[in-house]
Amino acid sequence: MNYPVWDVPILGSGLVIALIAVFHVMISHFAVGGGLYLPMAEARALKTGRDDWLEFLPKHSKFFLILTGVYGAVSGVGIWFSIGLAAPEATSTLIHNFVFGWAIEWVFFAVELSSAAVYYYTWNRISPKAHLRVGWVYAGASLMTLVIINGILAFMLTPGNAWLAVAGTGQEASRFFQAFFNPTYWPSLFLRVLVCVSLAGVWALVTGSLIDGNKQPELKTDVVRWSVRWLIPSFFLMPLCFLWYIAMVPESRMSLVELGIATIGTGTFSQVTRTVLISVMASATILAVAYLAAYRNPRDFGLGYACAILFLALAATGATEQAREMLRKPYVVGDHMYSNALRKTPVTIDGKKTSEIEKFNSEGYLSETIWASDAERDAWRVADDRSGPKLVLVSDSDSGKAEKPRTPPGAEVLRRGELMFRGQCMACHTMDGYRSMRKLMHGRDAGAIHNILGMLHENAEDSPYRAFMPPLVGTDAEIEALVEYLDREVND
Amino acid sequence: MEKSSSPACEWAPLRKVWEFADDRLGLNEWIAFGRKKTVPQHGHTFWYYFGGISMFFFLVQVTTGILLLLYYRPGPEAYDSVRQITYDIEFGWLIRSAHSWSANLMVLAVFVHMFSVFFMKAFRKPREFGWWTGLGLLGVTMVFGFSGYLLPMDELAYFATKVGLEIPGSIPIVGSFAADLARGGPTVDGNTVQRFFTLHVVILPIVFGALLGVHLFLVQRHGNAVPPSEEAKPVAERASIPFFPDFLLKDLAMWLVALNLLAILVSLFPWPLGPQADPLTPAPAGIHPEWYFMSQFQLLKVLGNWFPGTVGEILGIGLFSLGGLIWAVIPLLDRSEENKAMARLGTRIGLVFLGALIVLTVWGYMVV
Amino acid sequence: MTMNETNGPGSTESQEPQDSGAEPLKEASGSQCDCVARRAAMAAGVGVFGAGYAGAIGYPVYRYLSTPVRRAASAAAVTEVSLPEAASMEPGTATMFMFGTRTAILIRHEDEHYTAFDATCTHLGCTVKYEPENKRIFCACHGGVYDPETGDALAGPPPKGLTVYRVENRDGEIVVARM
Repeated sequence: MNYPVWDVPILGSGLVIALIAVFHVMISHFAVGGGLYLPMAEARALKTGRDDWLEFLPKHSKFFLILTGVYGAVSGVGIWFSIGLAAPEATSTLIHNFVFGWAIEWVFFAVELSSAAVYYYTWNRISPKAHLRVGWVYAGASLMTLVIINGILAFMLTPGNAWLAVAGTGQEASRFFQAFFNPTYWPSLFLRVLVCVSLAGVWALVTGSLIDGNKQPELKTDVVRWSVRWLIPSFFLMPLCFLWYIAMVPESRMSLVELGIATIGTGTFSQVTRTVLISVMASATILAVAYLAAYRNPRDFGLGYACAILFLALAATGATEQAREMLRKPYVVGDHMYSNALRKTPVTIDGKKTSEIEKFNSEGYLSETIWASDAERDAWRVADDRSGPKLVLVSDSDSGKAEKPRTPPGAEVLRRGELMFRGQCMACHTMDGYRSMRKLMHGRDAGAIHNILGMLHENAEDSPYRAFMPPLVGTDAEIEALVEYLDREVND
Repeated sequence: MEKSSSPACEWAPLRKVWEFADDRLGLNEWIAFGRKKTVPQHGHTFWYYFGGISMFFFLVQVTTGILLLLYYRPGPEAYDSVRQITYDIEFGWLIRSAHSWSANLMVLAVFVHMFSVFFMKAFRKPREFGWWTGLGLLGVTMVFGFSGYLLPMDELAYFATKVGLEIPGSIPIVGSFAADLARGGPTVDGNTVQRFFTLHVVILPIVFGALLGVHLFLVQRHGNAVPPSEEAKPVAERASIPFFPDFLLKDLAMWLVALNLLAILVSLFPWPLGPQADPLTPAPAGIHPEWYFMSQFQLLKVLGNWFPGTVGEILGIGLFSLGGLIWAVIPLLDRSEENKAMARLGTRIGLVFLGALIVLTVWGYMVV
Repeated sequence: MTMNETNGPGSTESQEPQDSGAEPLKEASGSQCDCVARRAAMAAGVGVFGAGYAGAIGYPVYRYLSTPVRRAASAAAVTEVSLPEAASMEPGTATMFMFGTRTAILIRHEDEHYTAFDATCTHLGCTVKYEPENKRIFCACHGGVYDPETGDALAGPPPKGLTVYRVENRDGEIVVARM
């Protein structure tokens, strides 16, 4: 809570990350898959003596260089920028663990970017053999960047027991390799490589669609059909890898999907499940559409169709990444840190294991916040001592309300409530836009808001919210302040 | 017909069934006909699919609409029955969401289809009636949208309908009478729902079906038009693909894409149901009609501000009528590429209309 | 429908792309048998794909259509019904109630003991009523008569007696249950 909160109205900070990240994934996976496509296509053209291919490939590699070298690189930095702002605690945790991993990755990045440039600018300038070798260097370097970042991405969903055993002790980095090769590392790597191969085909269809089918019918037919074939491995292997992946995701994470399956009929708690289904549907459809629209009639295959296929790929990729992110709910680092930076595992402070949740519940979530002045914090402490615990329960609030009219909350209470909201809710919710609190709380009076917050605070075993929301922490007075704040925002 | 053209030639029992049906229905003749029929192939063929996509969404509308009819009850219980569909009946949220989203996508696809036809000059002789039936279908589609929007009777539907009826209501003399007739009284209430329901599920489908039949017949009769750029080429250089199976399978591919888009919108952004309409509560801020009525709404609003009173209303309605008239008679004005000046004028009119539509719509959303 | 075509231009060329489109699978395959195997694989692929879509669309529609059926089935699975008001019934009167999805009748006799039956006449499904003055259960449709103690068919067209429910008094609360 001592980091600033990134307040992005309407979108919310999380959605900003998601938008940048999906854009980045579409390109970065192409950067890896295209790394295989280009040298393989070049080798094939050299072997079969297809000079027309050797005219097409420089065009495709230019498109490739601009897309990956500019948009891929910039959006990658964009992810760093946005996660650092939206989830500083989690980013810090990742850096503390994987700083060495990232250092290696950046070495490969440097090799990747420079070899991509060399590959494009040396077309027809160096011997075909040497040029092809540059292509393979690029392929190797770009694959290595995936091999490394995959470890960190998979870690966030499944840190693994070895790492969790030392989480919060300050010794986390000692389990670097266990954390890196975590339970979902291998299935995730295979899945991503398959996605890379598919996206190489999809993006090649975009440049392929621009070949004039009337002038170069043979080339166009060949490029389009060869590119469509890149979608075939995924179509058959993806389901297997998907099942493997699901098998490695721990029971506790899958409970969210199971809850979704149980409630999809009424549609209540099934966002993740629906996203998974969309991801499966769109992935399965790409090959069919590519076959019908491109493979059967390559000459007629224009940019419109290519964009339609690209749209499906975007839908599949976006849904898959979104599903993976949501599967992690309510954590940002699985079973360790909640989405709002609250740590579930006890933290060692001064050699003593302390649970953040218990500490915040007894001492107050805002007790050490730098966002209030010392005077304010003292005043709040005194006020809490005087009023004592008073978490009123369901029935009480109804009867109590009718008898004595509620006194309007003071400015200080509202300020505390707002700080609670910023610290604990705004990691996922916005007031008016994405996951809007005004919409979610619509129709609830103060008593009803109190009840739902009480449920989140209690975080009971059988609460359906437990599967996807962190516990609400703080003293009773703090939670009451949040109630007042939300009540004023929603009902006034 | 040679054997290879029957799709089920390999497996004997299936072949027998095929032959049985073929003898009686002449299926092979149809297939031969479809193979002989061709669709032009050029740089702009992608736009041909929007007619098919519109029809796909229409079929989704028919299917989901019939499903909704099983639980929907017009009249005073309207809101309650929609609430039941949305929250109580299993997958009711999905069916309803599909109906609402597909309606919007259908209107969008129809607009794209119309403008692509316009800019490809596909309304020229002999396709004038295709253009006119198409305009009729667009009109019916928009009335479909307007009448369907009220049926859930939630707050937004209620006030948007109230506001939306101001457009016909502002026509001098007959306007208020027509609006009263549409509402079944001076206010939007149970009577209005009942009327809109009848319109939505009985009258409009009949009209739409008839118009669509004529429209498709004309497309079949005259074939796909080619844009002027393609027409300029010598006949020998123009390419085409067989309607069956090539074009149809590409159509299928586009339908799959449309279905996926629909599925994403439907399941990840389920259509919401607001609180029950209450005529006694004040309208929430920023009430406006659906997006495809926004340009007309905004135009009326702006003219009403500039020229208060009847002058603005008459001006607004006059502009609409003039625009509609020009749009309808364009096939009679822009008749061939030989009259270059007229052809250019036609294209410019199209650009102005498209621009005005977009600007007014965006403007409308910026000021609500 | 007329079969004449006006789109002559280009049809001379149409043969060429059709060939490339209609047999896309043959170009790479060497032998006839390879082609047959690929056709079979293709057919299987199309089948699985089609079945997937049919399932994805059909399953929600089936659940949507069958919701009331399933609701009724779970209501019919009711094994007992508690009737709090029954304790205050006047002796010699009857009350109708719903046992799950079925209409049922509860009779409080003069000696204050209760009997309960399914209230659907076994003849043609009319709802029966209790006549205290005649001490009988009577169906007005065709004059069927049942015994208010046992539910047996006594007179008229009913082929068999009414289904009998067990009535228990649990601490002053009347509970009707399946036998």
